[in-house]
Amino acid sequence: MTEIWVKNACVIDPLNHINGEIMDIAIRDGRIVESVSDRADVIDAQRCLTLPGGIDSHTHVSGTKVNFGRYMSPEDMRAGRTKRKGKMHVTSGYYVPTTFGNSYRYSAMGYTTLLEGAMAPLEARHTHEEFTATPHQDMMANTLFDGNWAVMDAVREKDVRKTAAVVAWTLKAARGYGIKLTNPGGTEAWGFGEDLTGIHEMVPHFAVTPAEIITTMMRANELLKLPHSVHLHCNNLGKPGNYQTTLETFDIVPDLNPDRQTLYATHVQFHAYGGGTWKNICSKAEEITSSVNSRPQIVMDMGQIMFGRTMTMTADGPMEFNLHCLHHNKWSNHDVELETGSGIIPVTYSKKSAVNCIMWAIGLELALLTKNPYQCLLETDNPNGAPFVKYPEIIGLLMSKRYRDEECATLHPETEKRTSLCALERELNWHDIAVMTRAGQAKALGIVNQGKGHLGIGAEADIAIYPIRTDSVDPAREYRKVVEGFQKTRYTIKRGRVVSRDGDIIVDGANATFWVDAMVPEDLKMENDPEFIKRFEQFYTVRMSNYPVQDVYLPRGRRIETEVFT
Amino acid sequence: MKCILNTGRTVPQGVSVEHKGADVYRTIASSCFLNPVDMMILGIEDGDRIRVTTPTGHIVLTARPAEGVARNEIFVAIGPYANHIISSETHGTGMPDFKSQRVDVEPTKEPLKSVGELMEAIGGLRYDHT
Amino acid sequence: MIIHDVICPFCGCLCDDLELECEGGKIIKVQNGCALAESTFMTDTRLPAPIRRTESGWEEISYNEAIKETAEILQGADRPLLYGWSSTHGEAQSVGVHIAELIGAVIDNTSTVCHGPSILAIQEVGHPGCTLGQVKNRADVIIYWGCNPIEAHPRHMSRYTTYATGFFVPDAQRERTVIVVDTRRTDTAGIADEFVQIEHGGDYAVLSALRAIVRGKASVIPAKVAGVSKEQLIRIAEICKTAKFGAIFFGLGLTMSRGKYKNIRNAIELTDELNRHTKFVISPLRGHGNVYGSNEVFTWMTGYPFAVDFARGIAFYNPGETTAVDILRRGECDAALIVASDPGANFPRAAAAHLAKIPTVVIDPHVNATTALARIHIPCTAAGIDAAGTAYRMDGVPIRLKKVIDRGYPDDAEILKKIYDRLNGGKGP
Repeated sequence: MTEIWVKNACVIDPLNHINGEIMDIAIRDGRIVESVSDRADVIDAQRCLTLPGGIDSHTHVSGTKVNFGRYMSPEDMRAGRTKRKGKMHVTSGYYVPTTFGNSYRYSAMGYTTLLEGAMAPLEARHTHEEFTATPHQDMMANTLFDGNWAVMDAVREKDVRKTAAVVAWTLKAARGYGIKLTNPGGTEAWGFGEDLTGIHEMVPHFAVTPAEIITTMMRANELLKLPHSVHLHCNNLGKPGNYQTTLETFDIVPDLNPDRQTLYATHVQFHAYGGGTWKNICSKAEEITSSVNSRPQIVMDMGQIMFGRTMTMTADGPMEFNLHCLHHNKWSNHDVELETGSGIIPVTYSKKSAVNCIMWAIGLELALLTKNPYQCLLETDNPNGAPFVKYPEIIGLLMSKRYRDEECATLHPETEKRTSLCALERELNWHDIAVMTRAGQAKALGIVNQGKGHLGIGAEADIAIYPIRTDSVDPAREYRKVVEGFQKTRYTIKRGRVVSRDGDIIVDGANATFWVDAMVPEDLKMENDPEFIKRFEQFYTVRMSNYPVQDVYLPRGRRIETEVFT
Repeated sequence: MKCILNTGRTVPQGVSVEHKGADVYRTIASSCFLNPVDMMILGIEDGDRIRVTTPTGHIVLTARPAEGVARNEIFVAIGPYANHIISSETHGTGMPDFKSQRVDVEPTKEPLKSVGELMEAIGGLRYDHT
Repeated sequence: MIIHDVICPFCGCLCDDLELECEGGKIIKVQNGCALAESTFMTDTRLPAPIRRTESGWEEISYNEAIKETAEILQGADRPLLYGWSSTHGEAQSVGVHIAELIGAVIDNTSTVCHGPSILAIQEVGHPGCTLGQVKNRADVIIYWGCNPIEAHPRHMSRYTTYATGFFVPDAQRERTVIVVDTRRTDTAGIADEFVQIEHGGDYAVLSALRAIVRGKASVIPAKVAGVSKEQLIRIAEICKTAKFGAIFFGLGLTMSRGKYKNIRNAIELTDELNRHTKFVISPLRGHGNVYGSNEVFTWMTGYPFAVDFARGIAFYNPGETTAVDILRRGECDAALIVASDPGANFPRAAAAHLAKIPTVVIDPHVNATTALARIHIPCTAAGIDAAGTAYRMDGVPIRLKKVIDRGYPDDAEILKKIYDRLNGGKGP
């Protein structure tokens, strides 16, 4: 039995309606309890800001395309490297760090749970191998279905139950967590070098539209009672004028679940562009947020960009090729048979580029214009918008108008004309930030009842104690203290163990991987469907029996079983 | 005769790759494929021995005709025979010139060496294994 | 007993549809496999026990002794080299990287003398590729450049390309155009619709010519480029541009010949150019069964796919300097651990010779040429035969190799863990 007593903590725990109370937290065997014995280790938080462990609900840290980003970028590996130190392994990389680099740096920032944003089921084993080597965060994987042939066939037949059955089989085989759609239909079209330009355009050869895929998948998702909603990377990412597609997509989202959103729209900054060319691109954050503000069934994340060099990587293969034709830098592409695509190129976001400045402003506008912070979560689509180590700066910008103004003064003059950022007075408070970095994520991902994102009795003892005294720091003026404070926790506690102190990892990690085993009625099981088996054996290049991820790849797997539907 | 030494994988080489002490592996790895016209010029026939020399050293191989091999090129399966005469220079890439080593080919009566002998020539000691 | 859907660990194709018949701990029949698979499973002769070279010859020693002495050799070394890794599973590779990090060693894998140059090219210009099923289901144009799959990857054409029935290519043999580019008229060239025979060392020039033609600059091309007629080049460019989906597979004919990684860079840039007209992908034909896995494991752990030097505490990478052949050629390392590979046979003599001058330990199921150069050889399981574990196919698809029989050998990952523990004062990685 291990016990910790955290005393004098200034706690913000939005899900339990605690906002800045000085209190003690008792921890026993990894969970938060009423009280502990007097033999417990004592941590004096000294009235510092204490939050549930950070949760990133959309990041790219593990798997085929992330590793390819490393593989093709020795220049980045040189850009961030540390020696072996105590329990810490060697790390390399700045915007695509090695797995240990990701894990240590997230942990130093108080993050204890991560959702990998995109996993191709055929390559799921790879993602899980890297999860094991990302030891200080609990992991889960969004599973890609955007170009899944069996799904598209079921969608064409307007068969929600069969769609659900394909999803259930695939999630189980991939040990995945939820449904991810990246440029639905577009990644299949990219198989022959094409893309789709709207949600009502037909996917070549499959006679379905992105709108039909999205709609059917939302219904299948709720039929299966999956903890998370459909997680969507909208069509037309990164194209001037794409806000129309985004709004049209939001318009078709029903409200199907009282406990959480029905659609999680990711990195919406990249989907909120007005204009028609790169010359007249402008912000449509107001239109996007006004849609979201009136639709509780939608949660989005920012997809904030920050200036500097980074790597873009996404399952959206055609988008990456278009970007490559603009940047003329190196380009990788990796289409995955019967499932999805992916692309990778390095980019530099520059303050000298009007387009980049407008993108930067749009992300912040989205967060500042969304009324309910549970509906706009803080992320950079790591590393697409910026490496996650930039989160503290984003927090600083959201909490301080002065910081924003000082930054705006250094930007391309067009920024002020084509965005409304400079006119926004709102400054987010500590509670908003706590929502946007953990409580909101836990709710959106459906892991509150797994004990994530809050500090109530019975919750997993994932806790971040930051060297910030909220009673004496004025974030509007002293934003640098805010930024510094969020960069390194004093303590990061993971499942009841102190894993990180003042930025250094002090123990070996023992993370868990959450995955969903969705139940379907016996007669719908795909493993008994002769047509499904036949197509699988004909068109995949691995045998069906070799496809599912074995349990050995999830040494601390946490299976979430759903209730069977009828 | 001045030639370029090309090396590569072959099915027989792959089949016997984990049996390097066996006679069959020796036969495969020490076979040198030449264009028949080059063999005529050298005055050799299928199965004759040739001595192949580079600045690094020389090796005795068995000549075999192959129509597909270009003139002034020779082909040897990857392995210790070809490597006996390939320079270890990598031009800063890590990769030796496995496919572009300049060589001199001449007929010889010298005997073939075994893999064990080649390894012993560089300080090894063969392990006899069935 | 019949075991279905067995994965052959020999080459980067990782065919996973083999049927093995086992009886009394022995494999007696292999179905669906190529000749390489058959010999891999059927004639698997092992070194019976650990051996040590002494003044008077070879002697058998116990595993404990062998492991203890290996740890001492590595502990006592100033600049150890850990090399090989491509014929074992990811689990062993991962322990290897941990050992390298712990003792400040150089760790390199066999891609260094295989597709290392392809990796260098990819690091310059990226890699437009795909999984093999995309090619199978979609490609109507296949190009094999500087490779000979009939010999090196015997089932590549029947499983993934030329003869494979695909969703959009139901009549593969008629609907696919196969182009083979080589200096030799190989057996693979024999089945090509177009065979392009290039003069030795002419790949770079031919790739440049094709790029120019695809860009609409055919007028600058002379009548012959490295032995290839302009007419044929224009024809090839046209076939590529009008393809629905084209796939280039390349081999060591590009990585090992003059120009090395610049050849690959040029081929990738041709692919890039073709994507402005249609869909095109390019992929190296990886040799060893799990060589791509060694790149993957090294990369997520260290940031680099091969040639990683931990001597400075951080992970350092500089091919040409930290690559195994160069380190051996310079006589720089003072101890070597060779796992699942045979540099004695596959490295130029001068590099291999250095292994005999220093204490070298081999961990490999089979006696090979390096055995003769070693101080100690420790036999172990063979991944995919008597050990399960992860391997990455040439296109990055991870597959779990099966353990089909038990031969009583320890897993190399276990042997390596014991070495690690000794080096780390009894604590695991």
